[in-house]
Amino acid sequence: MEDASEQIDRRRRRFIAAATVGALAYQVGGIDVLLTPAQARSQRAGFGVLSPAEARGLEALGECLVPGARAAGIAHYVDANLRRPAAESLLMLRYLDVLPPHSDFYRQGLNALDAASMRQHGRVFADLGEDAATRFVAAIAKANPDGWQGPPAPLFYFAVRGDAVDIVYGTKAGFEKLSVPYLAHIEPKSDF
Amino acid sequence: MPAEAVDVVIVGAGAAGCLFAAKLSAAGKSVVVIDAGPAWSTDDLVSSSIWARRLRWGGPAVESTGANPFGLGFNSGWGFGGSALHHYGTWPRLLPSDFDMHSRHGRGLDWPFGYDVLRPFYDRIQDEVGVSGDAAAEIWRPAGNPYPLPPLDQFAQAGLLAKGFEALGMKTAPSPMAILSREYKGRQPCVYDGWCDAGCPIGALANPLVTYFPVAKAHGARFVPHAYATRLIPGRTPAEVAGVEYADAAGVLHRQHAGVTVLAASTVFNPALLLNSRAPGWDAGAGNSSGLVGKYFMTHSIAALYGFFDETETENYLGVTGAQRTNQDHYAKTSFGDGAFGSLQWQLAPTTKPSDLLGIAMARTDLFGKPLERFMDRAVHHLTTMFGFGEGLPVSSNRVELSERPGPGATRLPRVVHAFAPESVRVWDAATKLGLKVLDAAGAKDSWAGPMASAHMMGGTIMGNDPSTSVTDGFGLSHDIRNLVIAGPGLFPTAGAMNPNFTNHAISLRAVENMLAHWGDHNA
Repeated sequence: MEDASEQIDRRRRRFIAAATVGALAYQVGGIDVLLTPAQARSQRAGFGVLSPAEARGLEALGECLVPGARAAGIAHYVDANLRRPAAESLLMLRYLDVLPPHSDFYRQGLNALDAASMRQHGRVFADLGEDAATRFVAAIAKANPDGWQGPPAPLFYFAVRGDAVDIVYGTKAGFEKLSVPYLAHIEPKSDF
Repeated sequence: MPAEAVDVVIVGAGAAGCLFAAKLSAAGKSVVVIDAGPAWSTDDLVSSSIWARRLRWGGPAVESTGANPFGLGFNSGWGFGGSALHHYGTWPRLLPSDFDMHSRHGRGLDWPFGYDVLRPFYDRIQDEVGVSGDAAAEIWRPAGNPYPLPPLDQFAQAGLLAKGFEALGMKTAPSPMAILSREYKGRQPCVYDGWCDAGCPIGALANPLVTYFPVAKAHGARFVPHAYATRLIPGRTPAEVAGVEYADAAGVLHRQHAGVTVLAASTVFNPALLLNSRAPGWDAGAGNSSGLVGKYFMTHSIAALYGFFDETETENYLGVTGAQRTNQDHYAKTSFGDGAFGSLQWQLAPTTKPSDLLGIAMARTDLFGKPLERFMDRAVHHLTTMFGFGEGLPVSSNRVELSERPGPGATRLPRVVHAFAPESVRVWDAATKLGLKVLDAAGAKDSWAGPMASAHMMGGTIMGNDPSTSVTDGFGLSHDIRNLVIAGPGLFPTAGAMNPNFTNHAISLRAVENMLAHWGDHNA
């Protein structure tokens, strides 16, 4: 039977091992661990910036945009990058000239998404059926829905779509899924 | 405590800053280079579109606004190497018509010299750095020595697109690239893996870390990372500068005194630094008696064209991020007529990775869900891409200015305001229509154009002969401050339609040699 100190040591060893492959930091059971976003999701790691409701909305939107984004851990990926110093963020948002704090961009966008969904369908975005969600996303890709209060809806769509593409297709596994050779000069120690 | 005074302090360790540092230190001058970002090495250039984002500006955020906001986040650099660390190495020369637009057409501006003056510097730079291409095949190319290296290898999508141009009676040629097709001066040739955007760790692409940075280091130049220049230190009179104040990573202010100050901090941060430098005699900012510091910010419009060739493996994952072939048949400023004015050049067949801003998924941003999956499966093996770079005319209302947002050392952070002139928009529109015709003539099954984008930044500290209508002379020397030199594409009075880094190198070489030849005049 493993005692508490052994558990901590084991977790610490896992932390060090993960650090060598450059994974992201998450909290699981009150302990800091380094995991991939997909691992963080499967282990139900906590979020540092996003609320559970915001994370659920981001997962639903990401999955609607790029199938596979939920399991790949899009919400944990975004959350971990929002906790990083701005100069170390790997988010697509870095290219889009959005003024910081970037946590506001995601939180306000996700809250606007749910508010608009509630107005139109009487339920938050994550609870929409596939067809309704698809129609809803197609609309926000083009213009702000009535009453939208957040970053411009098309920009929000573009940014989250970029995150979802990154996490599904921007990795070695993503290249492999597409049957494209990765051809690295210097292999990334981790995907993110 | 002031740091020990040196001969030259250079702000910015990008392409121009490293070239200045190399030439000055090799001539025996003591040189300090300060840079706002980290001290990258080639080992940091990981092959990943996601990790490549660390190479873009990571300092205090810059606002980008106007009718056509410029894409600062994607185009800027961060740390040693600057934006040239992730640039694509597409190195065409400007053409003679770019240097006297005002004289020829009564609009825009003139450069203070013509192509003939710059030609020998282009020739020398291509030999120093290593440029691959086929000068004879570039029928549009102005007089100049042949490239020192043969063209890069070509892959399937280049040939497919070239056939479209040929079918319309237009010619293409291998793009001139600052990427080695053969081993050159101890650097390895390209292996065509297409990760140029993430930085080239093998040194085939001429980023500053493998060209002038090591030369400068070998001659004793000292590079200081995480040093954000806040303002110039006034000299004994308003006509002199005593060096640069900068904030370190902890926000602590330092002073680096120097006989000569060189600003190579980018098209955005050079004017921002000048405007933040207020002192008696520098009432509108240092070097700004003309009131033109920050004015005439320019960029290139991008017409992005895409087409599918379902019967052919287009090999779009192989090659280089810049381009394989070029066409410049519509480079004449009035080529398109109908209210359009400005040059256009095509760059064909860039490597396209699945993700990122120029990646395959972004070729159709309207697609998501299952349709996106189907598109990705098809595009990774059958998509072709070409980009038309359109000239953005010099417009004084396009500018770098100071916002109200506070920056390090009680400075104000810059804001960029940009809108293309209507004539420039018409060039983009004409390019889009022409590109679709090319793809159709090439036999593309489906073809489409992306929305207008922009790339490259120029202007903001334009050079000229008249101190009332320009910020510096033809060597980048401030009209107002005798020991202040400004470097980089910010000096360009017109943008042409060519990728700017070759010209950046050529004017920098000319300027630094002038500086050394007249050392006593400049050194305070």
